[in-house]
Amino acid sequence: MRDVVVFIEHQGGTPRRVSLELATHAHELARALGGKACAVVVGAQAAQAAEVVRRYPLDRLYVAADEEAQAFAIEPEVAYLESVARTLGPALILVPNTMLGRDVGSRIAARLGAAIASDATEITIEGGRVAVVSPKLGGLTVTTCAFKNTDYGVVSVRPNVFAAREGEAAADVVPLAKLPGTVYRMKIEEEVVEEATELGVEEASVVVSGGRGLGGPEPFTTILHDLAQALGGAVGASRAAVDAGWIPHSHQVGQTGKTISPKLYIAVGISGAIQHKVGMRTAGTIVAINKDPNVPIGEFADLLVVGDLFQIVPQLTKKVREAQAVLA
Amino acid sequence: MKIVVTVKLVPDTSADKRIDPGTKRLVRSGVETVLNPFDEYAIEAALQLKEQLGSETTVTVCSMAPESGKEVVRKALAMGADDALLISDMALAGSDVPTTAAVLAAALRKHGFDLVLCGTQSTDAITGELPGMLAEMLGIPGLTYVRKLEIDGTTVRALRETETGYQRVSVSLPALVSVTKSINQPRYPALKGIMAAKKKTIAVQTLAEIGFDQPVGTDGAKIEVIALAAPAPRGKGRVVKSADADEGAHVIVEFLKEKKLL
Repeated sequence: MRDVVVFIEHQGGTPRRVSLELATHAHELARALGGKACAVVVGAQAAQAAEVVRRYPLDRLYVAADEEAQAFAIEPEVAYLESVARTLGPALILVPNTMLGRDVGSRIAARLGAAIASDATEITIEGGRVAVVSPKLGGLTVTTCAFKNTDYGVVSVRPNVFAAREGEAAADVVPLAKLPGTVYRMKIEEEVVEEATELGVEEASVVVSGGRGLGGPEPFTTILHDLAQALGGAVGASRAAVDAGWIPHSHQVGQTGKTISPKLYIAVGISGAIQHKVGMRTAGTIVAINKDPNVPIGEFADLLVVGDLFQIVPQLTKKVREAQAVLA
Repeated sequence: MKIVVTVKLVPDTSADKRIDPGTKRLVRSGVETVLNPFDEYAIEAALQLKEQLGSETTVTVCSMAPESGKEVVRKALAMGADDALLISDMALAGSDVPTTAAVLAAALRKHGFDLVLCGTQSTDAITGELPGMLAEMLGIPGLTYVRKLEIDGTTVRALRETETGYQRVSVSLPALVSVTKSINQPRYPALKGIMAAKKKTIAVQTLAEIGFDQPVGTDGAKIEVIALAAPAPRGKGRVVKSADADEGAHVIVEFLKEKKLL
């Protein structure tokens, strides 16, 4: 493996932050491997996304500004990434550990007969050998894995673990022509954006989650939403809240939901049973608000405030906004 | 129509798993093995399709698992699946995700299928990579994160969850679909189903029987674990009983400032 190739995920031309984190880290990895740091951006608004990605320290940026890519799910991204990987030869391919990133990563690995390592929180290179560190079993153990018998290695990287830093805009921009003979089958008939202003829980650096203690769907869209917004974060939920139908499953944190590592996790009215704990115990800082001083979450939260969440949360939102006003 | 649901056997999700420091492996003794909870939604989706499409539709459950997993897989038959296929081979221990997908692909090709249904991810490894990989290896479209599914002739119509909302997508059969928890509420096996399941067939096949001759297990894996470490311990933090909302909020804000999070 010599070159590093980053799959850039973007939303209508706006790259997701995790893509920029990978574009930044690719530089370091490529230097250690003695190759080039490359990235691939695909879609109708690829050129717009490329303008942003160019500010990061890449050697080469492949741009597939393909209108057709907008009309099909997953397949165009995989097809262009595959063509770049085959052109470059043995490479380390980085995808974000997000819904789309996992889809692209698993398929590109299948097509290239590549090794795949999931949910990396650290990537090291020693003597040309790539080692991938990732928490497993919900953070119960941390494994270091190496690739073997393979030309290509795919790594899905957890958002929020690497810094995104702009560098010299020196990347060669390489436009990609339409791939002849490629047929896409998964036709998108309608794309609906429900929460345009919110980041997903996997990517947000702050997650404010609600559980059974919220008592119904309404507090998720009012007091919890307001606090998440004040902190620039996303709204998460426990299994109990999702199973009760108070909030969609895409917000669920835990063993049967998402495993996340935000810088700050605020658990509101969540007991913190093992099934929830495995989804968030690698968060930087955990704050819990609960009426019960003996909830399990108190055993591993950095701060547990015991009191009435319906009173504390709005007050907290107010104080956060005041503190931010002073700082600004 | 031939529907195949792929399932995985996992340790009970409510158990607090631990690693044996000596063997560096997951301690499985004393922990019950269950059907991966995500896969129950795929089974339920298959059964609902069978109910709609009529008796010519069959639902087969397929798993790469040791023969001892038979009784766990029987739960899917008790729910209403017609039969099951286990790919069991001593050589498979230690296989990675690409090998697992390749073995399942070989088994499915041999068995035949129109629609493959999967759960979104397993509760033990949580990689979520198998459905996409399996679709690629079978050379069929793979719709992931599906929360609504309809079959109309040979057309599959689905709502796919995305990070920001959803997509309405359509493909032609044969296809693979992985479903999320939002799609349905899996049924509990009824007594009648449990009794009927005792007579249903669980075929057990080896790699040779499905015609798979690639390297498997740790030999076939393209990834190896070179180190295992315990994560940094997460101890009990501060507990503050707040007299009122103002005090509670104040404690949190000061704490966030102290941690430079505000």
